Order: sequence, then structure tokens, then C-alpha cells
Amino acid sequence: MSTNKTYTVPTYAAFGWLTFSTFLAVFGPLLPVESFRTIHGDFLDAKPFTAGHWFGVDSNGYDIFSGIINGARLSLFVAFITVGIGGFIGSLLGITAAYYRGRYDSIVNTAFNVVLAVPNLVLALALVAVLATNVDINEAVPTWRRLATLMISLTVVIIPILGRIARASALTWSGREFVVAARSMGMRDRHIIWRHIVPNVLPVLIAVGFLAVGVVIIAEASLSLLGVGIPDGASWGGMIARGRNDLEYNPHALYFPIIALALTVISTNHLGDVLRGRLDRREARL
Amino acid sequence: MAGSGYAHLRDSDDVVLALRDIVVEFRVGGGRVVNAVSRISIDVRRGETLAIVGESGCGKTTLGKAILQLPAPNTGQVMFEGTDLTKLPKEQLRSARTAIQMVFQDPISSLDPRMTVGEIVGEPLWIWGRGSEADREAKVRELLNNVGLDPELVLHRRSYEFSGGQCQRISIARSLALEPRMLICDEPVSALDVSIQAQILNLLQDMKDRYGLTMVFISHDLAVVKAVSNRIMVMYLGKICEVGSPDAIYSKPAHHYTSALLDSVPVPDPAYQRNNVALQGEPPSPVAPPTGCRFRTRCPAASPLCAAEEPLLREVAPDQFVACHHPRL
Amino acid sequence: MNTILSIAAMNIKFVTPRGLLEAVHEVSLDIPVGSSVGIVGESGSGKTVLSRAAMGLLSGSTVRREGKVVFDGKELTTMTREQVRNEFGTGMAMIFQDPMTALNPVRRVGTQIAESLRIRLGMSKKAAVVRTIELLSLVQIPDPQAMLRKFPYQLSGGMRQRVMIAIAISCSPKLLFADEPTTALDVTVQSQILQLLSDLRRELKMSMVLVTHDLGVVAGNTDYVAVMYAGEIVEQAPTSELFANMKMPYTEALLKSIPTIHMQSGKRLAVIEGRLPDPTSRLQGCSFAPRCPYVQPKCTAEHPPLVNAGNDHLYRCWFPLGQTIARKQ
Repeated sequence: MSTNKTYTVPTYAAFGWLTFSTFLAVFGPLLPVESFRTIHGDFLDAKPFTAGHWFGVDSNGYDIFSGIINGARLSLFVAFITVGIGGFIGSLLGITAAYYRGRYDSIVNTAFNVVLAVPNLVLALALVAVLATNVDINEAVPTWRRLATLMISLTVVIIPILGRIARASALTWSGREFVVAARSMGMRDRHIIWRHIVPNVLPVLIAVGFLAVGVVIIAEASLSLLGVGIPDGASWGGMIARGRNDLEYNPHALYFPIIALALTVISTNHLGDVLRGRLDRREARL
Repeated sequence: MAGSGYAHLRDSDDVVLALRDIVVEFRVGGGRVVNAVSRISIDVRRGETLAIVGESGCGKTTLGKAILQLPAPNTGQVMFEGTDLTKLPKEQLRSARTAIQMVFQDPISSLDPRMTVGEIVGEPLWIWGRGSEADREAKVRELLNNVGLDPELVLHRRSYEFSGGQCQRISIARSLALEPRMLICDEPVSALDVSIQAQILNLLQDMKDRYGLTMVFISHDLAVVKAVSNRIMVMYLGKICEVGSPDAIYSKPAHHYTSALLDSVPVPDPAYQRNNVALQGEPPSPVAPPTGCRFRTRCPAASPLCAAEEPLLREVAPDQFVACHHPRL
Repeated sequence: MNTILSIAAMNIKFVTPRGLLEAVHEVSLDIPVGSSVGIVGESGSGKTVLSRAAMGLLSGSTVRREGKVVFDGKELTTMTREQVRNEFGTGMAMIFQDPMTALNPVRRVGTQIAESLRIRLGMSKKAAVVRTIELLSLVQIPDPQAMLRKFPYQLSGGMRQRVMIAIAISCSPKLLFADEPTTALDVTVQSQILQLLSDLRRELKMSMVLVTHDLGVVAGNTDYVAVMYAGEIVEQAPTSELFANMKMPYTEALLKSIPTIHMQSGKRLAVIEGRLPDPTSRLQGCSFAPRCPYVQPKCTAEHPPLVNAGNDHLYRCWFPLGQTIARKQ
């Protein structure tokens, strides 16, 4: 294949950044960095490049560097889990709908369209509002429940996005004659889906999955700004939400989470595009 | 339409496949219905090759797939070796199908691009758990050898590395893996170069002899069909026009449509003069087929009778049946 | 005789990971004004690459091209891409095997044709619509008025090809390239389209290059034929001379492998054994020698030159057919 172009610098950069932040997310707690919960009273509002606090300290006394590392864990954790679960459910629905067609397909497809018609954020917000409130308003909602609710809401956002891609791709593959051939040989439907359709749909899903990670990170951050993000405001979005309050006195508390967030979303989008481009070129040869 | 009718059906013990009043309809948007196959009855004897010939959209492929119940016909019987496939429960149908296999038109689309040739040809054996892994590989090698491919060279490569003709050989090897008794070939050579067509046609003949197959051969080209078939059925808009032996049909076609099809085959001789005007226009929509004889809108011999009444198949010469009010004979 | 297109000493190589792939080797071909020339060969013979190069459509970092193409007195090979582009439509036009990919699926047929008229000929909107209807009737589309509002997916393959032809002739080109224009079509539609092309050629005084793998298509529709094998022209002659007096064993083999309605049923078809030689390494002798039934020691040792047999008949063979030379069969 002469089309196998070597990767460009931005691709390496994007890959490098995602690897790095994933590393921070996984091994963050093991690094010789103080807990992000430690309050540094002496360094309140310290500017960046202060010795010991290279990213500075916010007005509550939290070290921003520790916050970024901890935030990577939460933001990426939420993003990958929701895209993973949402992608699984979405592609299961999408692929089976495309394969079996008929009534089941129209129901699934309509459901996808209905969910997609509501803007992501509004949908997530509505779900959080419904699921994460107590009947007794005096009783606080436990953190785990708020986190679970948030992730469920984001998953619901992801399901139709990936589901529709999976359905469209599976639809073209189910029309191929090798699927008819497999049926005529007496292959069971679930084997046909598993052996012939899933492997062909998967690469597209992975490429779009990267884009979806970006969507989720942004959605979570936006929810944080609205005050219903990951509890305790420890994600990157949460840091931005907190820092917003004293933008005038301590703007650097915002810079770093914003940069981290932007780099991550740009990287996932870029990698998604690169993967898609490679796939398109490969499909063109088939 | 040509027409319906049962005059051409044969009553003998060696009829392997008997289709009776097959109807296949598809719903298209707006509540309209495409009459892809309208009450077709035909039978195939053991060891025979039935060619189904007609233009795109005449329902020939749909009829071929209806034999395998992919999808099943809306109404009608598909009697294969005495069993009506349309009445079989799902599990029994699954195993009954293995006796009938299919070779498709598009050699590229009929092979999974992600699988190696070994996996593709071995897949039917894997599905049915035939033999051990080693047995299966030996069988795959044998099959590849039989279709003229070198197992050593092709076993671990993927389909997109091969030419159309080679892909069609792989596809034929796969269709023979379960040792079927009947092979349905859906335009197996129309996507290939002329020079390769002959190779594949010969290969199919060889495989038919070697495995004792009964064949249904679907094509739009009467020339391609000539070499391989014992019986010809010409279809137009979901109906039978003419059925009979190749000798009769090629030398004196009785239906005006058959004769038009024969005339449009390109002749590799610059001095050749066509004796008839080529068939004009295209078939009307199968959503609203013409009344009476479906071919009448393009037929040079059409009369008011053709619009009023559907012609039934009747014998015009020994083993030659035609559905036409004004046959050429 | 005036030539509309002249290809001289054309060599085309592609840079691939496996090395230089020689697609076209030392090809010279003249297309006389007003004539129809067929380029015949199997997939991989270089016929499509040659025709693309002749239209100046072949460029890119992986292409190595030598030789000269003169179209209508202008040398295409030294022109810029912009200048070559200007030749399209008014100078030359082309139609492809698959008209679906050449038409925009989401725009109406009428808009697509009218748009090309407005852009290339600077017509007013009204004039363009009038001319579009004229063109559609010229390509014998029934009810051109209704056709204007249709989308490509609503048309049959034959109708789409007619629309493509309408677009191709919209700016009255002097030369029409038809690359396998009927390969994807039914035989009945094929004969209609070929008839249409010859009618249009006479009516519009166009020259035409017909690229095909089928000698049968070439027979009734061209004045000259060039047969290509492994990137070279192996035989070239006026069509009637070629069919009456074949010199090259390859051409004969190609002709014999065509299934016809006149062959005996149940008989094996003649085939060309083996396959095309590897294009990354040119053979020392004749490239057809490994598959030739009449091969002699000299054939594998020396590459045969293109010889003129008189009557405009060129061939590339040491032991041409029709000469009394002892051949071992």
C-alpha cells in the first residue's frame, strides 16, 4: 500500500498528550505529589512558578498541579467509562437493528432520533435533575448517587451517537453477499453478527468513539459549570467552575484546567479524524 | 407476462426441486408493492442445470434466493427432495439449507474482507463442526485444489489481494464445502472479463460432474447460459415467458422476448447483420405491471387480446413451452 | 488521413512498494478523425491506464510517464493541468463503466446537465434548460421533460448511462472516450447503448475510443481495433481485417473464449490458460509466450517487434497465424 502515509507531527502530539494524561489518570495517586485536598494556607493565591507549586495555588489553598492530576483521573475516567458503556449498548442496539431490520429497527431508530433531537446538555441536565434529587429536600444526596446519575446521563447521551453510526455501518455490511452466503450455509444469526458484522463495524466505532470521548469531557465540564458535575468539583470542569468565582483576583486557577481540557478534546478529535481517514482509505481498496 | 400455468411441469421421480406458484412481493415506500415474482412454477430434475434468464429487475435473483428462503416467498411451495422448505421450522431449515448452496454475482462482496481465504472456505465446516481442525484444513486444501487454486499460495491471504476470477473460485470452493446437492449460481460470471468467464463456466461444469450437482444458473445473457444448461426458463417482470430445451429455444425461439434477447447478444463478427430490430426501451415498473401479458408494451406482435387476457404456458413444440397469444412458431 | 488523437511511444510506470510496475510499454496509436477505435484487453492489460493517460488524466507522484500525446494539433503532454481541463467537454469527453459514481446522487438530472452547460458554455439558465431537453431526446430518453426532475438513484443503469452520454456530448466534443460503457449493463440495454453511441457518432461527427474487454462489443461498433496485452499493443488493424485475418494467437484465444449462442451446449469453452505476467518484471521474450498454445523456442528468447503485414495490419508475433510454419500444438 503506497497510501500508508507516515503520521504527522500533530498526530504524534495528540497521541503523546493522551498517553501522558492517561498515565496521570492511572498512576496519579502513586506519584510523589501532595494530595489535591491538602490546603496550603501559606500559599493562598500563589501565582504560577512559585517554588513547590509550579502551577500556583487557588484562593481556597488547593494546589493546582495536584488538582490537574486528580482531575485527569476523574475526567478521563468518566469519559472512557461512559463512552465504553454507551458505545457497547449503542452498537448492540444499532447493529442488531440493522441486521434484523423490520419493526425492531424502526423502534430503535426512532428512539435514537428522539434522543438526538434533544441537545446533549439539556438532556443530561434533565436526567440529573430527575435522578439525583431526593424527595425529602432536607436530606443530602449521597456523592456516589450523584456520580452514578451523572454517568448514566452522559451514557444516555452517547448511546444514540455511537448507535446510529453502528447501525449505518452495519446496514451496509449486512447487505453484502457474504452475509447472505453465511445465512445460506446455516450460520446462526448471532454468529453472523459476531463474526462478520462486528469486526467490520468495529474500526469505525473506535474512530468515532474517540470523538465521543471529547463530547463527554465537554459535556461533563459544562455540567460542572452548571453546578451538577462530578461532586466536590474535582474534575477539570469542576476546577473551572470553582475558579470562575474569583476570576478577577486569581485567573491562573482557570488557565491550567482549561488548557488540559482543550488539549485533551483537540487530541481525541484529531485522533478520531486520523483513524477515520485511514479507514476510509482502506475501505476504498476493498 | 407472460404467464402462469403448469403445462411445462414434469411428473417424474427424479424431480429434485419443484417450485409451485411462488409469489415474492416487496413493500416499497408509500404502501406500494413490487411484484418481484408472480406465481412461478418450475421443476428441476436431478443432475439437470436450469438456466433462469432475463433482464435486471425481472425477478430472477429473487426467485433464486426464494429457493433458499432468503427471504422466503410470500406464498407458494418450494419442494426440495420432497420437503416443503417454506413449512420447515427455523432449526430444520437451517440444516436443510446446507444441501443447497449459492454462488453470487459480485465476487468481491461475497467474501468477508477481514477473513483469510482459509477461514472463508472453512467457515461452513466450522459452523457445522465437521471434523477436527486438522480434518477441516485438509478439506479446505482439497477444495482449493479442486477449484484450481494453490492452497499454499492462497490459504493465508485475504480476498482483496485476488482478482475477480480468483475470488469467484474461492466463492465456489466455499459453496462446495458442505457437499451440497444443489448449487444456485446467481450471475456468477457477469462481473468478470470475457476471457475469465469461460474459465469459471468450465470450472462450474467440472464441479457439477465431480460432485454430481443439480444446478440453477441465473443470468441475463443467453450466450453465457448456452454452454452450461439443459433447460432454459426465460423470465420477464416476474413471470415465465418460455421454458424448454436449449436446442429448441436457441434455434427457434417461440416468445418474442426470447428472440429479442437472442438478438441483443453481441456477435464477434463485424460482417454480422442483425435480422431484427433490437428491443427498444426498458421493462415497465414492477409496481404496476401491464395487464394481460406483461411483455405486451414492448412486443412487436401485441394485440388487444394481449392486454385483456394473460397467456398461459402451453407446449408449442416437444419440450418447448411458451406463454404467448401470438407465438413465433 | 487526419488524426484527432495521436499517442506516440507512450511508457507509463507506477511506483509501488513492490517496485516499478510497468502498465504501458511503448504504445503508439493514432485515432483518425471521425473513426471509432476499440482498445481491447483483459483487466490488467493497461487499456484503462493508456486511455486515462491519453486524456491527460494521469498525474501524481507515483506515475512515471514518457511519450507524447497530440490532440487536435495540441500537445497534451506539455500542457498544464488547467489547459488540459479546458480541453474537456469541448475537445473531448468521457463516459465510464459505472455512471452512478460519476453522477451526483443528491442533485436532479436536469440541474446537473444544465449546470455543466452554463459553466462550460456560459449559457443562460433558460437556454441551458432548453438545450438539456434537446440533449435528453438526442440520447433517446422517453419523456425528457420528466427526466429533468429525477434523481440518479431513480434511474435504471441504462438510463443513467444515457444521462452520462448526454452530459458527455453536451459541449459537442470532437472525441469521446467510452471506458467499458456497457459492462455493467444487461445485454439488451448493452445493444441499445452501443447503437446509440454509433448513431451519435455519425450525427455529431465525433471520433470515439471504445475501451472494452469484449471483442464481441468491438466487432460491430468500431472501424479499428488495437488489442493490448501486458501493457503492449500486440495486434492492431481495421476491424474487418482483424476479424478476417487474425495474426496474433492471443487475439484468436480471446475471440475463442467468448461464449456465443452458436456454440454447442454442454461443450467445454475454450479458455486462455494461465494468467497475465507479473507487471513488475518484463519478460525477455514475448509476453504471451507462457500462455501461447503455439509457443516456440524463439518466443521465449526474443521479444517480437510490431510488424506491419500490409493493409494497416500490425502484429507482434514471431510465428503469426495463417502462415505455413510447423507449429507444435
